[in-house]
Amino acid sequence: MNDHLLSLIVAAPALAALVVMFLPDGARQAIRWVSLLGASVSLLGSIQALVTYDSARGGLQRVEDYPIVPSMGVHLRLAQDGWGGPLLLLTGVIIFAGVLASWTVSKRDKEYFVLLLVLVSGVLGVFVSQDLLIFFLFYEVAVLPMYLLIGIWGASHAVPAKGPFQAAWKAFAVGDKQYAAMKLTLMLLVGSAAIMAAIFVLYLQAGATSFDLAHLAATNYDRDTQIIVFPLIWLGFGTLAGVFPFHTWSPDGHASAPTAVSMLHAGVLMKLGAFGVMRVGMVLLPEGTHFWVPVVGAVAAVNILYGALCAMSQTDLKYIVAYSSVSHMGVVMLGAATLTPAGWDGAVFQMVAHGIMTGLFFALVGIVYERAHTRAIAKMGGFATVMPGVAVFFTLACLSSLGLPGTAGFVSEFVVFLAAWRSGHLIWTIAGVLGAFITAIYVLRATRAIFWGPGPSDDFHELSDARRTEWGALIILGTSLVALGVWPRLLLDPIDVGTLTHLARLVPGVVR
Amino acid sequence: MNDLRPLWLPLALAGLAVLVLLLDLLGPPHGAKPPGRGTGLLAAVGLAGLLAATFFVDGSGSAASGAFQGNAWSLFFQRLFLAAGLLGALGGLDDVAKRTARRQGEYWLLLLLCLDGMVLLAGASDLVLLVVSFELMSLPLYVLAAYAKTDVDEEALRTRASEASLKLYLVGATSTAVTLFGLALLTGMAGTTRLATLGAAPITPLSAVGLVFVLGGLGYKIGMVPFHMWVPDTYQGARLPFVAFLSVAPKAAGISVLASIFLFGLGAHRGHWVPPLAMMALLSMGVGNLLALPQTDLRRLFGYSGIAQMGYVLVAVAAGDAFGASMTLFFLTAYVFTNLGALLVVHAASEAGGGFDEESLAGLWKRAPGLAVALACFLLSLAGIPFMVGFWAKFYVFVAAWRAGLVGLVAAAIVLAVMGLFYYLRVLRAAYMTEPGELHTPAPGIALKLAIGLCVLAVVALGLWPGPLVDAATRAGADFVSLSASPAPTAR
Repeated sequence: MNDHLLSLIVAAPALAALVVMFLPDGARQAIRWVSLLGASVSLLGSIQALVTYDSARGGLQRVEDYPIVPSMGVHLRLAQDGWGGPLLLLTGVIIFAGVLASWTVSKRDKEYFVLLLVLVSGVLGVFVSQDLLIFFLFYEVAVLPMYLLIGIWGASHAVPAKGPFQAAWKAFAVGDKQYAAMKLTLMLLVGSAAIMAAIFVLYLQAGATSFDLAHLAATNYDRDTQIIVFPLIWLGFGTLAGVFPFHTWSPDGHASAPTAVSMLHAGVLMKLGAFGVMRVGMVLLPEGTHFWVPVVGAVAAVNILYGALCAMSQTDLKYIVAYSSVSHMGVVMLGAATLTPAGWDGAVFQMVAHGIMTGLFFALVGIVYERAHTRAIAKMGGFATVMPGVAVFFTLACLSSLGLPGTAGFVSEFVVFLAAWRSGHLIWTIAGVLGAFITAIYVLRATRAIFWGPGPSDDFHELSDARRTEWGALIILGTSLVALGVWPRLLLDPIDVGTLTHLARLVPGVVR
Repeated sequence: MNDLRPLWLPLALAGLAVLVLLLDLLGPPHGAKPPGRGTGLLAAVGLAGLLAATFFVDGSGSAASGAFQGNAWSLFFQRLFLAAGLLGALGGLDDVAKRTARRQGEYWLLLLLCLDGMVLLAGASDLVLLVVSFELMSLPLYVLAAYAKTDVDEEALRTRASEASLKLYLVGATSTAVTLFGLALLTGMAGTTRLATLGAAPITPLSAVGLVFVLGGLGYKIGMVPFHMWVPDTYQGARLPFVAFLSVAPKAAGISVLASIFLFGLGAHRGHWVPPLAMMALLSMGVGNLLALPQTDLRRLFGYSGIAQMGYVLVAVAAGDAFGASMTLFFLTAYVFTNLGALLVVHAASEAGGGFDEESLAGLWKRAPGLAVALACFLLSLAGIPFMVGFWAKFYVFVAAWRAGLVGLVAAAIVLAVMGLFYYLRVLRAAYMTEPGELHTPAPGIALKLAIGLCVLAVVALGLWPGPLVDAATRAGADFVSLSASPAPTAR
């Protein structure tokens, strides 16, 4: 079946961006509605793609192929596998909510929406690309607008210079939005350089005829090559997934970014990294994966614990959420490292679950910050009396974050930890569960301190609850979170199909 | 009897130059009324016409007793030079008319003669013709670099212009001497001036010395490290529309000579010249990128960035095979449009006052959104970001070198490319993340707008769909290298 649905999903935001670019400067409403239209086409398209994916048949569906440089084997080849639908849906939900959450952006709004939409096109493209080079191109498109988005619309904030490196902190203006933007971009592009080198090896050793992922996966690379190339891909993509110790761009970046950009970045971009490690690194390089997987798992365990501990000691609300993302991305990588069907299902489900949860978190933080003009938790308290709606959703996000049954977070963490246990990785499991426990401490503490503590101080009596479009963002994210918690099969079924296809390369004869 | 048809383009270009000269001499007398832009327009229209004509006139075959070869390779370069000349002419039309109103005719005459040297160079297959046409290209450049000298009011700019020209001239003359000496040794040992038979003789210690001299001499011309010192100073001293042309076309011509002598002539001895070339490529990328980092003057920044870009081209040449030759062409095409466009934007922005520092771009997004978007495209392309032609250029250059076994060089090049990103992003930041302050709104003329627009179109369109250009470059490169592999033609 070739209905061009995938091209439509990928191109819709980019086309909307093109239209927005040519709108007159003052057309505030038109800019927003066109952006929302682009986002809705992607959202509805991804729902359609997810629902109509034939799980019984499995494999690649809706294949589209357009030659770009046929003589070198570069094709714009889009297709949806089992993982594609859920991840497209995640992206669709986040960008739809993200546009709604950005409704009040007033500074240079035209450029803002253009960059936001271009970025999302890149993300959507990565999830359905079946050509390694095009995969990489979309990946870069998703990463680069971030530089301007953070550098222009971000927020600088005071980071107290402490410790042995305070001179360096001052010299580099740590906490400044332009510092954060440059750090993020450079770190991610060093990662890209590693990926690029890996792509060269894979392409040339496979005969230099095609970048098709299926073709590359069918190639048997020799063991030494695999062992050298896998870390390049793991760390290259892993930088974006916040793999320890290359996660340091993430808290600064997320804390400095404007609301919708944090939502997108933590919500979907970090997933691109994990997706890249699994889809490119593990699937194409089975022997390299088996060689490195103990390290990958151990680092993932460190991620969970270290991220959680860092989040514990933060006083800035956005830094807490940012470090919690580092911690939760560890769960994804841990699931991937188990190399079991359940682990991979859990990893992909965690990408979606965490994406929506952290999107909700950042949307809420944005609302609170916009009203209270502070993100220092110590100054807040009792906000539930003035913004009850926000308080309810924040609590919901917290419960999902700590993995309460009935929320999406529970499903993925439970599945992943169980898989780690059953595949005999006791230490990873203990680290993961411990991390989840610490998560419970810091998120509950933050919720209590902000919303449920003693009533708001005099400065904050005038705060208002969420407004029109903000409700839209909160409701769509919150509903998805609960829906996935009570009915995970909606996504787990197609995810499982994708997992079994891909995992078969690594573990021959794998069955549930 | 010699067939002159392969030489139609150099001849037509010389004719155009004569027409421009005649128009300048016979046109309205330079009285009290400032002269119009007739000569510049004639040059631009003529170049556009010739560029179009290359698609219809068949110039293949050999002429001048085999000293000139018209083939897919030379045609590719000729089109590239014409395109660069056309864009340079469009970009400089207003500036020349404004700054040197009474001497416009000479400017365009020199530019056309310079281009004539280039299109001749592209097909030269005899060392004598190669050297002569190279000088035909170089001499006008020395004059053009100092062109603004007497017409600019500010004293500082005048001395800069002299310095720019003198540096270019002294370095150019020296490097010509060095190249000639090297070529003398090479031809002396090989007993021929024909490129095709140059490689027939074995490499002796003496011809190895000659080889190094040629490499060094040409290295000066294209500004590769360690022969790069003149580049930033010349860029800083000359008028920007000319620098935009200088930074692309002569460098592409230099690479074409390099490819002719080494890939085509000495292709059989690649073991001797690939290592030093690869080393220079590495040095150019390293030094260019590192020294571009601290620059605040945009002209110097682009000077160093150009040095680094030349390093990437050399990576492709160092691959030493047909694919490397093809990707050299592809990279040069990308580089011509990108770098020319970038410098024209800087020129347009500097016309609004504010000099040439990064601050001169402050708030460009607000003052001139179109220019800002164009600049972003060029910078991203130079940095090698996907969906801009610069990405494909770097990518294919690296593929070519990797296939040829230069893995370490490619790895270093990738790392250095990431480093280069830092200063390109800094320029982008200057244009996008600052407020305009007191600066005026730049008002580029129609010709300049057209030139920048064409560059953006090329950079984006080729970035989205590089296929046809890759195929064209592959054909040209394969044609070129297969010629060198074929048995040498008998001397007449």
